[in-house]
Amino acid sequence: MKLLRPVLLNVFTWSLVFLIAFPLVWMIVTSLKPQSELFRIPPTWIPESVTFEHYWRLLSETPFLRYFRNSVVLATTTTLFVVALGTLGAYSLVRFTYRGRETLALLVLFTYLLPSVVLIIPLYLMMVTLGLSNTLFSLILAHTTFALPYALWLLRSFMEGIPEDLENAALVDGATRIGAFRDVIFPQLLPGIISTALFTFILSWNEYLYALVLVNSDAVAPLTTGVMSMLISAFNIEWSLLMAASVMMSLPLIVVFAFLQSYLTSGFGAGGVKG
Amino acid sequence: MTAIATDPPRSAVSSPLERAYARLGVLLIAPTILVFTLVIVYPLLAAIYLSVFSIYTPTLQGGFVGADNYVELLTGKAFWNSLRVTLIWTVGTLTLQIVAGVGLALLLHQNIWFRSLARSLVLFPYFLSTVVAVLVWKWLFNDLYGALNHGLMQLGIIDMPLDWLGSMPNAMIGVILVGAWKYFPFVVIAVLARLQTIPENLYEAARIDGAGPIARFWDITLPQLRSVLTVIILLRAIWDFKEFDLLYLLTGGGPVTSTQTLSLLVYQEAFGLNQMGQAAAYSVGMMLVMLVFMVLYIRQTKEKA
Amino acid sequence: MANVIFKDVHKSFGSFVALEKLDLDIRDGEFVALLGPSGCGKSTTLRMLAGLDFPTSGEISIGGRVVNDLAPGKRDIAMVFQSYALYPHMTVGENIGYPLKKRGIKGAARAEAVQKAADLLQLGALLDRKPKQLSGGQQQRVALGRALVREPQVFLLDEPLSNLDAKLRSYMRAELIELHRRLGKTMVYVTHDQLEAMTMASRIAVMHGGHVQQFDTPDAIYNRPANRFVAGFIGTPPMNQVEGTVEGGDFVIAGHRVPIDRTAYSADLHDGPAVLGVRPEAISIGSGEGLPATVRLAENTGHETIVTLELPDKRRISARVEAARRLDVGQPVALRLDPAAIHLFEATENGARLNLDDTPASVIPMRST
Repeated sequence: MKLLRPVLLNVFTWSLVFLIAFPLVWMIVTSLKPQSELFRIPPTWIPESVTFEHYWRLLSETPFLRYFRNSVVLATTTTLFVVALGTLGAYSLVRFTYRGRETLALLVLFTYLLPSVVLIIPLYLMMVTLGLSNTLFSLILAHTTFALPYALWLLRSFMEGIPEDLENAALVDGATRIGAFRDVIFPQLLPGIISTALFTFILSWNEYLYALVLVNSDAVAPLTTGVMSMLISAFNIEWSLLMAASVMMSLPLIVVFAFLQSYLTSGFGAGGVKG
Repeated sequence: MTAIATDPPRSAVSSPLERAYARLGVLLIAPTILVFTLVIVYPLLAAIYLSVFSIYTPTLQGGFVGADNYVELLTGKAFWNSLRVTLIWTVGTLTLQIVAGVGLALLLHQNIWFRSLARSLVLFPYFLSTVVAVLVWKWLFNDLYGALNHGLMQLGIIDMPLDWLGSMPNAMIGVILVGAWKYFPFVVIAVLARLQTIPENLYEAARIDGAGPIARFWDITLPQLRSVLTVIILLRAIWDFKEFDLLYLLTGGGPVTSTQTLSLLVYQEAFGLNQMGQAAAYSVGMMLVMLVFMVLYIRQTKEKA
Repeated sequence: MANVIFKDVHKSFGSFVALEKLDLDIRDGEFVALLGPSGCGKSTTLRMLAGLDFPTSGEISIGGRVVNDLAPGKRDIAMVFQSYALYPHMTVGENIGYPLKKRGIKGAARAEAVQKAADLLQLGALLDRKPKQLSGGQQQRVALGRALVREPQVFLLDEPLSNLDAKLRSYMRAELIELHRRLGKTMVYVTHDQLEAMTMASRIAVMHGGHVQQFDTPDAIYNRPANRFVAGFIGTPPMNQVEGTVEGGDFVIAGHRVPIDRTAYSADLHDGPAVLGVRPEAISIGSGEGLPATVRLAENTGHETIVTLELPDKRRISARVEAARRLDVGQPVALRLDPAAIHLFEATENGARLNLDDTPASVIPMRST
């Protein structure tokens, strides 16, 4: 009995974990199945033969690589822009006193919860008026609407975790406010900045609605709308190809999960839940 | 609003150093304020402004119609139907997320084999792109070749393949299920983090007092999780309420409008029916409903701070 | 010259008044302790001197130069923080060298100064370590090293010993006294620990409720407390304070007369209510003639016994007797108070002391609330 209990617990937990992970396993399995095996009834749970032809076709015959490049440019630029602004902004919100600071913090929190569909109509009009529609730049601006409040909120939490006396010590030791920021606060904030950058990157990488509305040219489409258009345009839905695209699209995420997962969990503690 | 009141009153003779610091602080936040104004505050006000116009999307032409759009919102069926759908979706998926999230967090808090791998696998769906999640689930839901139907048939739970997304109530159950699968890891992470901070001696004390595992859960774990659960529920309620991608990509709001939440209604009105003014009015209405949750969440956050 | 002067300094946070009309004159080379309970304003005082907080009004000067508008780094001060505030990502050497780096001292000159400071504090072998690899005592010394490396005019220390264990604390007290003697620089030391203040400081400013209650030598603070707060704050156990009435040559406690010497008190002492203060060691316990009391508790600490006594009206006072003295709980005794050791205070909440003895000039006018 003493021995059985942990075994049962393990079997039970791992069954659930497998059930949760199954769609992902199925995605990979499907992407590796040859076309002939795909439409078999009932499906083969373990593929009889493995092929990489879908990946090859995805990269050589579809605009997937272009979408991928667009997404990289979009997510990277958004992240750099937002993290740079957010770091300075969070420093200001946490370590300075001026009129209206509290109200501003409240506004950040409010926008962090704002639905995108409220902003999408005026943003669409704005981009059309400025002649920016169908550009990656319009998407970068649009992504700022959710990424900046998010980054600010996260970085604010991280900044609050840095003891105020560290900065005070640097000031007494002869640093200016900016000098203290560079020498002492920034190195301490770095893990928080990395965490925020990863979150921002993932948010931007995964975003769909703005891309759907603001961009309808295939040349600047990011992965989300690009891959979806592959689903719609194909007469006969090629599930293997789509699953291969899904796996490829999740690559950055897999990399982050494999090497930088602790940053994701710390970001959760700081922003997501503590508020 | 209390924030302004608690702001310390500036004395007339503050020191130049203090003023220089304040100036630097404003300078550092200035770019953020600028971007905020441009991409958030201005569009927000513009949305309210647009809601009293009738605008045809392709030409962007139209005229002032006063409160007509709001009269339509209040008297027409679309808004109320979507509000009802949104509430069903939010309550359904949120309940599943919380139950699954707390349950798995409790399991993953135990000493199981390869615990960190199990945790990673459970967290993964949350970070996955909604597009990927939807593609995978559409494939799983596929009525002819879908793994879900065949799996259920092999297990003997159903006799015939089900039409998952094309008919009601299956479509609503389907989106609620996928929503729960995608977002419950958020609950897992938050609850796990909190579980790790519950002092072990609370459990030891309860054990000495003769409490069994179930009593310990109700008397210690749950009360300790209460505050974090409040925050999670509010936050997830807000996010589920405004969810667009998942529903739009999975069902497009269908069949007909039976899974058309408010976000989808706004999109459909603006870019499907090309009625931008009416869509803006719907979005303002939606925001007003959400404001209730937002105020609750903000108050909760401030209370903790 | 590095004297420190606070002139009519006020500080409020919103509607909360942290400091009111603060006047302090700290002489060059002096070791001054700011002593008081938490929330008394002592840390705010130090932070304003450092330039980390800003006075609402008033003037602060260091070495004859008004520093109100100077950034902390330009005040020629160094500060040791309660949390040590060591830069976690820098090595010990980099921590100590940081103030020099910020003053443009480079290369060999900096390395030499760092080495000198490190040697002085026996940190020489630890220069390449990171702060979190050090013990609490070592971290404390690194914080000191960072403060003294560039030989500032004034040292500010904010409860530097409060995170150390008792043994290390007494060792560091001696170290700090030695350091002050050797450097001869002005030091301002904030603490809530009266032992630290009494043993280290040349003068103590006792603070309470945003006011300096008394600014004087440890001896004067102990023997001539300016008011009831100081009398009750200093000493373990603190001075006994018993309310009663002055009637001619006697102080009447619960109907019993304690003789006093009226000529030893100022003309402000009138017949009527007053507060009698007497240190535990000035009470002798005997039998027969005297103030009747009952023994309630006798705590033997090894080298002395602290006796808690109950007066006829149930008020309790404490007395200090030699450890060998045997007293039983419930035993009735008679107390005799040395008239020369009796302090009398105004019968207000923080009444001023009314004794005539050579009241030092540095005692600032008392406020009695």
